[in-house]
Amino acid sequence: MSATRAATGESAGARFKAFRGADDLRLVGRQVYYEQLGFWLNPIGAVFTVVFSVVFLLLLLSSTAGSSRIPYLAHVRVVVYYVPSFAAYGIMSACFNMLTISLVVRREMGLLKRTRLSPLPTWVMLAAIFVNSLIISLLQVVILFLIGKFGYHVALPHNFVPLVVALVVGVCCFTALGIAVSTLIPNQEAAGPVVSIVFFILLFLSGLYYPIKSGSGLAQFAAFFPVRHMITSTVAPFLASAGVPVSPWSWNDILVMAIWAVAGIVVSLRRWTWAPRRSDPYRRAGSFFAKRGGRVATPDATR
Amino acid sequence: MAAVSVEHLSKRYGEIDAVKDVTFVVEQGEVFALLGPNGAGKTTTIEILEGFRSRDRGRVDVLGYDPADRSTSRQLRERLGVVLQELAVEPFLSVRQALTRNAGYYPRPRPVDEVLELVGLDTKANARVKALSGGQQRRLDLGLGIIGNPELLVLDEPTTGFDPTARRGAWDLVRAMTGGGTTVILTTHYMDDAEALADRVAVISAGRIIAQGPPGSLGGRDVGEATIWFRLPPGTGVGDLPVPATVSGNGALEIRTDHEIEVLARLTSWALRDKVDLIGLTVERSTLEDVYLRLTGAEAQAAAVTEGLER
Repeated sequence: MSATRAATGESAGARFKAFRGADDLRLVGRQVYYEQLGFWLNPIGAVFTVVFSVVFLLLLLSSTAGSSRIPYLAHVRVVVYYVPSFAAYGIMSACFNMLTISLVVRREMGLLKRTRLSPLPTWVMLAAIFVNSLIISLLQVVILFLIGKFGYHVALPHNFVPLVVALVVGVCCFTALGIAVSTLIPNQEAAGPVVSIVFFILLFLSGLYYPIKSGSGLAQFAAFFPVRHMITSTVAPFLASAGVPVSPWSWNDILVMAIWAVAGIVVSLRRWTWAPRRSDPYRRAGSFFAKRGGRVATPDATR
Repeated sequence: MAAVSVEHLSKRYGEIDAVKDVTFVVEQGEVFALLGPNGAGKTTTIEILEGFRSRDRGRVDVLGYDPADRSTSRQLRERLGVVLQELAVEPFLSVRQALTRNAGYYPRPRPVDEVLELVGLDTKANARVKALSGGQQRRLDLGLGIIGNPELLVLDEPTTGFDPTARRGAWDLVRAMTGGGTTVILTTHYMDDAEALADRVAVISAGRIIAQGPPGSLGGRDVGEATIWFRLPPGTGVGDLPVPATVSGNGALEIRTDHEIEVLARLTSWALRDKVDLIGLTVERSTLEDVYLRLTGAEAQAAAVTEGLER
């Protein structure tokens, strides 16, 4: 959010003057309510994001794979791995998958432009979108943990701090990447397919469905992307509690996600546009890092 | 007091002058229309007024604010209503939910029920937006534009895609708004929009304003050449007339003149004296469309000539 503020070029003093304290916080709450309303009234979005993680977990667990153990992780039951890995999936799908598609659709439908022309401050809009993703993420995490604990006797972490840190960094990372990727997708027809294909390939390579041996070629390849780090850092506290000799803290994973978060913020700042891409005749197509903010050549519909 | 004043506004995109040296003033409570072909610079101009685009040169004052000043943009937008060229409505909310949500952005919004009635969606208040017809969604769009009870309403081609009934509805809405003292700026390429609504019109072509004035007198429309049409009964010919006339394609007679009163006097006194019927007698001034086509056509020709010379 702070990044987008800087992009609009307002001075801190002007910002401060524009902030209306409790009224603006109420406005965020109100906006979150309508974000939630929009989310739950769209059955496809709600099903794909929330129900999918739960159903998928239950399907995997009810198959033969559900009763197996993981030999290279101290023969821990596979469910101990699946519960947190699907929680990580739920967060990624809410903060990245859902957010990216919804931002592209909003931009191309002209909804972002309309919001820009209303008095709703940009930070309120972004805060509401962020809180909305957070609520949907949290809901999935809670449902999955409850299923794990009461359905499959999975021990929840003794110490929640490492888990919470990993989840918070993960939420920030994938939200930033969601915004960044939305700026790279030119139209709403492309949004669904592009996001889903990239996302599901990475999920597969990163060990959502089965842990990948660390040190393997696949693990080294997947380590470049944030998805694997999200999964391993969420899983680690559960493994530690189940007696596997690993640290519940995954500093390496957290660092990689933080780097991706910064990259996401940089791309978002440079590429963010309020106007639909297709209807902006002056927008120069193509260049990945189209220069922003100049008074001369670029349309600042973007700012 | 002027609601909007624009002086020597210019905006370039690379090599293209999207807006060049545009100057106009819109008085409070006035309806001002920017008329021009596609790509003339209408939308760029109003997007600069809305603070959506920055300008390169010139001075702009909207309701006492500089739209480029980010520190006051929220205050300005609280007093501004905008209806975009393209439909922009969330599909999953109900009509009432969408209006109620946006009402919360403004300090003194219009009551949601009042807006529902103004845009004729009172019976559709609980319908999902995606279940509305295209025209109904467009009316909701108008409703979202006026929910904040704006002092200035900016309409970018508000009637594009409307059927004649819906267009009349939109006109009534704009009139209702101006009745309450709201200033309106609209862009359009429909002459009848401008003619029906606008107190003043500016014709914009290739980024420049080429004519400005009340629609009735634009481009010297009220003082220029008039055309007199009529038919003669069988047995009377052009040669019998006291004034020269030409036979037009459909067999009617046509007289083009700058002195229509004098010509009509001679013509009608001749007709009375000789008891000749002037069938379907009509006097026509050039329509706003004629003026517009003449103005923008001349501009386009001039541009083509200059381009030719430059090559």
